[in-house]
Amino acid sequence: MKSLTVRLVAAAVALGIAAALLGAAAPAKVLEPGKLIILSTTDVKGKNEPCG
Amino acid sequence: MDNGGFFPEEADSLYRDKAWFLMDGMVLLGTDAVGMSEKELKYGRGWLLAQLKRSRLPMTNANVWDKQTKKTLLPPYLIIKKGGVNVGVFALNSDKIDLGPARDSLTLEEPAKAAARVIPEMKKKGATVIVLLSQLGKVESEDLVTAVDGIDAVICGRNVPVLQKGRMIKNTVACYGGEQGQNIGRTIITLDAAKHMQTGENDVFVLGPEVGEKPEVLQLTKSFNDAFNDKMRKLEKERAVQSSTQTGGEGQAAKQPVDHFVGSEVCQRCHMPEYAQWLKTDHAKAWQTLVDQKKESTPECVTCHVVGYKQAGGFQTADDAPKLGNVQCENCHGMGTQHEAMPASPPKITETTCRTCHNATTSPTFDFAIYEPHIVHKTPANMPPLPPKPANSSMKSGH
Repeated sequence: MKSLTVRLVAAAVALGIAAALLGAAAPAKVLEPGKLIILSTTDVKGKNEPCG
Repeated sequence: MDNGGFFPEEADSLYRDKAWFLMDGMVLLGTDAVGMSEKELKYGRGWLLAQLKRSRLPMTNANVWDKQTKKTLLPPYLIIKKGGVNVGVFALNSDKIDLGPARDSLTLEEPAKAAARVIPEMKKKGATVIVLLSQLGKVESEDLVTAVDGIDAVICGRNVPVLQKGRMIKNTVACYGGEQGQNIGRTIITLDAAKHMQTGENDVFVLGPEVGEKPEVLQLTKSFNDAFNDKMRKLEKERAVQSSTQTGGEGQAAKQPVDHFVGSEVCQRCHMPEYAQWLKTDHAKAWQTLVDQKKESTPECVTCHVVGYKQAGGFQTADDAPKLGNVQCENCHGMGTQHEAMPASPPKITETTCRTCHNATTSPTFDFAIYEPHIVHKTPANMPPLPPKPANSSMKSGH
């Protein structure tokens, strides 16, 4: 089973890339509003992976 | 970001290892801000502050005050610069919580008062987007962002249910991400030219096996798990020896109460067809799944993978696995010694029985109607197939 932290990193990297692409795709003449992406976890309670 | 409440629930000092491991993991993830709940104070304020200094995890809280210094225990807010945007992040606790071992030296401020104080300060320092990491619960979080202006996004925590789509509460986009790290919330804020929030939306995703791995984090996790499980195994053996010494080495049977667990080897003497059918179920492999995950010494896991954990006649240590490992007859039907007391028609096993272990936390996708036909002793003729298991299946993904 993959760990929570491993998955979080992968998700963060994937979404970070998505955010970067959004920024890179914005043409110089027509400026689109920027976007801020927040990734969050809640109440992890010491769990880093399931039991089995 | 994480809104706090990530320390283990177990008070046992062994679990402090998990706390510092998670802190290191979050730093490795590049976590920008972490909130704080009373769980983070479980091992004492001194221990928490020392670990924050060591790990450099950016933890914040606006309404827990040190009685002596008359300052907040942690920085009341953080200003994070991301892609030219200054994001102000603050965290709040309910003022009704018990601060545990730190209750004599710390005090709690009313959350709305703290929010009204720090939001203008963050804006004055250039923050154009304000995020609240809330440990107030669902209703109190929603009430607060309704009552206090200027919060663009709130990450709701403390026994908050999972909502796949967040929602707008007045002018604040709210995220409801559930618990135990099973999900990740994604809040997308669209900014105007002045870098203020224009629109906000939120989705919550399950962190399933399809999400890839990063080698260095995998290595950190593996190293920690191996060391932690070795420690737990050693402790379990020490406790077993200690227990044996205290009882004068008489062994468990000699001091066993009248009612106790007996194990399926006894049941199968008279119930061979049912035993043979049980052998084909996943319940009969439950112990091995723990061994495969190296969780066979982790108490909160073991309890649902063996017979009568720490009860009379039940599973005590891994040495009992051959006889009492797996989810056996007595997990559903009760102690074997109570067999004679059963009426001619034994009580029906209901969903309530299954929910003892397959609960919302450990088995969120469990569907009794789908799984029940796979464990009943008279297998239905037209039994629907079980949902496919993911590559790295787990109880949490629907076992």
